[in-house]
Amino acid sequence: MIRCQQLRFAYAGDAFELRIEAFAVAAGEAVALVGPSGCGKTTLMNLISALLVPASGSVVVDGVEVSRFPLAARQQFRLGTIGLVPQSFELLDYLTIRENILLPFRLGAGAGVDGRSRARCEELADKAGIATHLERYPEQLSQGERQRAALCRGLVTAAPLILADEPTGNLDPENQDRIVSLLLEEARGIGATVVMITHDPVLLPRFDRVVDVLALRKGGRG
Amino acid sequence: MNLGGVLFLGRRYLGRNRVKTSLLVAAFTLVWLLPAGIALVVGKVESQLRARAEGTPLLLGQAGSPLELVFNGLYFTKPAIATLPYGETEAIVESGLGMVIPLYARYTAANHRIVGTTLDYFDFRHLTIREGRGLIDLGECVVGSEVAATNGIAPGDAVISTPETLFDLAGVYPLKMRVVGVLAASGTPDDGAIFVDLKTAWIIEGLGHGHEEAEKLGDGAKLVNPSGFGDDAVRLNASVVQYNEVTEENADDFHFHGEIADNPVSAAIVIPGDAKSQALLKGRYAKAGGLQLVSPEAEMDELFATVFSVQDLVLRLLGAIGFATLAIGALVFLLSNRLRREEFRHLRLLGADPGTLRALIAFEAGFVLVTSLVLAGLGLLVLQGIAPMLVRQLLG
Repeated sequence: MIRCQQLRFAYAGDAFELRIEAFAVAAGEAVALVGPSGCGKTTLMNLISALLVPASGSVVVDGVEVSRFPLAARQQFRLGTIGLVPQSFELLDYLTIRENILLPFRLGAGAGVDGRSRARCEELADKAGIATHLERYPEQLSQGERQRAALCRGLVTAAPLILADEPTGNLDPENQDRIVSLLLEEARGIGATVVMITHDPVLLPRFDRVVDVLALRKGGRG
Repeated sequence: MNLGGVLFLGRRYLGRNRVKTSLLVAAFTLVWLLPAGIALVVGKVESQLRARAEGTPLLLGQAGSPLELVFNGLYFTKPAIATLPYGETEAIVESGLGMVIPLYARYTAANHRIVGTTLDYFDFRHLTIREGRGLIDLGECVVGSEVAATNGIAPGDAVISTPETLFDLAGVYPLKMRVVGVLAASGTPDDGAIFVDLKTAWIIEGLGHGHEEAEKLGDGAKLVNPSGFGDDAVRLNASVVQYNEVTEENADDFHFHGEIADNPVSAAIVIPGDAKSQALLKGRYAKAGGLQLVSPEAEMDELFATVFSVQDLVLRLLGAIGFATLAIGALVFLLSNRLRREEFRHLRLLGADPGTLRALIAFEAGFVLVTSLVLAGLGLLVLQGIAPMLVRQLLG
């Protein structure tokens, strides 16, 4: 599903440089990215999602080299291929939970929100235990409920690749477990590949593979 | 770019932040509306005042403020101006230098000015009767279209003059006047006036009155031992009831004491026979003490020179305030977008292209601008509609 080779990236005016010789994730695999803060986990994820463009090397997702995409194609790629679950929820405070979950359908150039997407939204909300909160606004929900809503949004398009950037970072153990369970179950259900950044060792056994980004940078292969 | 998504997000953002949006729209609306509204109202005032003034060659009145004389003679306001004797108007006619239309605009009925004048006035102002007939007899009145509309008055009804001081027993008694006609609308102050014959206005003033013939009254109505009067005079006491309405039966009992020439008029429209007559008249009244002959058009020029300089200053101030408001509005947008940087970043992360984000910001800013422009336009339309009423109120 994902294949990165000879990847090199540096932020302008920053000493940090990410060099990864090879990193690959098979289709349907659930991979946990670990490593100390600042080691480049989020940078790698942003390279995979084509938010960042590598200085050299290639990122191939689903057989397509996304690192060479022009801007418009990158946006379209993200909308069509990636379900994103951020760490800090990133729910829009002026939209209801239902509208937030359905947001990816509104941003794409496709058909927009239809009966099928609504049904999918309600199904996910039901599984996440927030079905009764769909008409509420983010500020009316607890942190755990908001993260579950963000997860539903990442899953609603049934994208083949789900990138989750520490989605459990701000949550209590009960909510952490609930989030990861829902994420992995749903991904398995639709055959999606999962790449999730986490610092929590308790969650690692739930993944098919754990990749240490620091080790990758030192020439390891992942 | 997904236009549907842009409209959805923009609408939801503005709706959720409706207080901020409403304040911005209100502020921007005022920025557009205030200068345009002031210019519109001043323009309307000017066109109305000028049209009337340009149609009135000269105005004769008692010395004092020429502007007050113009306002009384043309717009029937400033009722308290000093009066001139009716005889002065007759003197111009007798000199053959021009035609004179006397006006006595002092009293009111149902909050409308009663204007005592002659039949020439209607021809001079091209006023036509829409309903009923013109003035013929004493005690009759013809009302302007607006008077008829606002008070539901039609020929056959009556209007009663308003006493100046309610508790002054020696003051002017109200006179009940028969409405015999309604004027067609002219879009001028004539629409809001009640026209009566000059003599009827003098009756309201108390200079003429009607009561039963003294010879037919009993001794109870006569003064006993009237001192200071001639032996042959019959003096009546307060028990004699005066007529408060001129009817066919009592019309002959109405009479004036004193000389008609001494009776007051507040202004007189003077229409010189030719340019030479005009020059002669102007020369005569330039020298005559106690009276003034003014050109309403020249007075309006002077008035609007002042008004426009004030308007210019006000518009400059409003321009500065408007610029400041727009700058603050722009700052609000910039700060708001700065606060939303994370939101935009996340929208990009989700797949929104930069065009969509630019369109979203443009939609929100455009909504405020367009809504405020539309509201200002509607406000101007409303102002346009109520401008005649505003003009009348401004004229007092």
